[in-house]
Amino acid sequence: MKLKPDAQALLAGFLFIAFAGAMLWMNMEHPIGTARRMGPGYMPMLAFWILGGVGVAVMIGGLFSGANAIGRFVWRDMALILAAMIVFGLTVERLGFVASITLCVIIASFAEKVYRPVRVAGLIAFLLALCWFLFIWYLDIRIPVFPWSY
Amino acid sequence: MELLSNLAFGFGVALTFQNMGACLIGALLGTAIGVLPGIGPVATISLLLPLTFGMPSTTAIIMLAGIYYGAQYGGSTTSILMNLPGEVSSVITALDGYQMARNGEAGPALAVAALGSFFAGSVATLLVAASGPLLTSVALSFGPADYFSLMFLGLIVSAVLSEGSPMKSIGMMVAGVGLGLVGTDVQTGQQRFTFNIPELSDGIGFAPMAMGMFGVAEIIRNLEMPEVRDALKTKITRLWLTKEQFKRVSGPVLRGTALGSIVGILPGGGAALASMGAYTLERRISRNKAMFGKGAIEGVAAPEAANNAAAQTSFIPLLTLGIPANAVMALMVGALIIQGIQPGPRMIEAQPDLFWGLIASMWIGNLMLVVINLPLIGMWVRLLKVPYDLMYPAILVFCAIGVYSLNNNSFDVYVTVVFGFLGYVFSKIGCPPAPMLIGFVLGPMMEEHLRRAMLLSRGDPMVFLQRPISATLLGLALLAVIAMALPSIRRGKDQALAG
Repeated sequence: MKLKPDAQALLAGFLFIAFAGAMLWMNMEHPIGTARRMGPGYMPMLAFWILGGVGVAVMIGGLFSGANAIGRFVWRDMALILAAMIVFGLTVERLGFVASITLCVIIASFAEKVYRPVRVAGLIAFLLALCWFLFIWYLDIRIPVFPWSY
Repeated sequence: MELLSNLAFGFGVALTFQNMGACLIGALLGTAIGVLPGIGPVATISLLLPLTFGMPSTTAIIMLAGIYYGAQYGGSTTSILMNLPGEVSSVITALDGYQMARNGEAGPALAVAALGSFFAGSVATLLVAASGPLLTSVALSFGPADYFSLMFLGLIVSAVLSEGSPMKSIGMMVAGVGLGLVGTDVQTGQQRFTFNIPELSDGIGFAPMAMGMFGVAEIIRNLEMPEVRDALKTKITRLWLTKEQFKRVSGPVLRGTALGSIVGILPGGGAALASMGAYTLERRISRNKAMFGKGAIEGVAAPEAANNAAAQTSFIPLLTLGIPANAVMALMVGALIIQGIQPGPRMIEAQPDLFWGLIASMWIGNLMLVVINLPLIGMWVRLLKVPYDLMYPAILVFCAIGVYSLNNNSFDVYVTVVFGFLGYVFSKIGCPPAPMLIGFVLGPMMEEHLRRAMLLSRGDPMVFLQRPISATLLGLALLAVIAMALPSIRRGKDQALAG
């Protein structure tokens, strides 16, 4: 067989092996027990050894399965979307959900090709009204609306 | 005639004002997300989980189920009119449906999609009603070893059937099983892989995980692609079928229904695979093969019937055995557990109103969907005019608030972020996220049954081969693995999946 590495499979296999290895290492602190009386470490041991094996198989298969490049990542958009959620998580309890949603939408909107402030402001107003109606008025979830709400 | 009295009881439950309302909301939402590309049933159901906390359990499940089968109806509309499938399961419908629309036959195409789906949905619902109690009585004789083998079979079959490389699917599944073990060990109280984070002692939340991989990652993936949205060019005429068309589609609808019902029950099956299988079957046996791909009405009827039948029958393993057949059903397990109901064979007896009410509501929901989809079609098409740059921040905000409100804790938001990132990476290396979610839900159950089985057998693993049910199930799993390795079958699957 000719060597034709498949980048996708190689990375997938590597991730499986790395994850399995890390978890097996951490699993050393859990008692394994016996097959009859399994300890908390028994099932993780089974699962992650199998995962490691599958990872090796995926990597070996990937050496021959033909070139298959990993596509381009949109790092900037990804970072903005994830950052928007993190900012929401960090601020929702301290600033309340009005400020938090506003920040979240502003950050996420930077992922567009062109930034249109008026459009974003309109969207924020609409989402605030909708979320207030749905989550505060209708569902009555325990979430501060403004920083001074609690 | 016990079935009839049970169904009557079910309709009594489903026809209350509250449950009818829930069914309608579910069907409407399902149609909406079916029409809109970029958000699917998994993300929507996990988004709506917090909304169901305050509802009675039957109402909650009726609504969530409506979203799933509603999406099968909605997905066909945009496939036919604009060659823009809103769901994976309607990619196939676009092949012939869009060609029909271009030939000026949009009306009949939409009609056959809705009516075929309705027929399939009704039959499949009856099938759920009939097989539920039957399978339950079998399931009650299952021991821990049999359960373990059944879940093992489920995992293997869904890996074999899933798209792409089966080895990667198995890897994702086993990784999911491993992630499911994070948290406090039920039997010993030992903290496993929790890094002393108190929030992790209950395990990783499945809603944050699902929302991250199916909601957030999907947003990032959609931002990669430039937006292409054609305005509706075709005019919809005559939303009905001629006598001749009725004759042509009756066979494909029946075969699609039968195939879809079977594929739906299979673990890892679900609606997408069913529609692909049905289309391939029709193309092979149809008398006018030449028309396929050029606007054959059979090519719309069969996959549409199949995907809806599968959406209904995939509830069978969940309601009778407590085992999820696909990612949506994995979320249903979560929804039931949140409601304090342990899914499993005792559910029909312990929660008859839930089981029969859900079945009756499925039929009512299918009827509602025909009405929602045929006369109101213009409304749904207009929904597509909402540009994506307004949609994705809204989805993101709903994800964030929804996840936060699960436990009133920001930690779940961060978990969503992590799985959003992972989901995006997985999509780049061809690792499907659905098997991971199924493995995640099944992992803790498998551990429990494995422990019990081994305790009963005094540590002898032969118990899995000595019990007839368990041995049969493991034999089937072995057959599935052999089938996967055979090149001819693999090629057939890839062909079916590629359309």
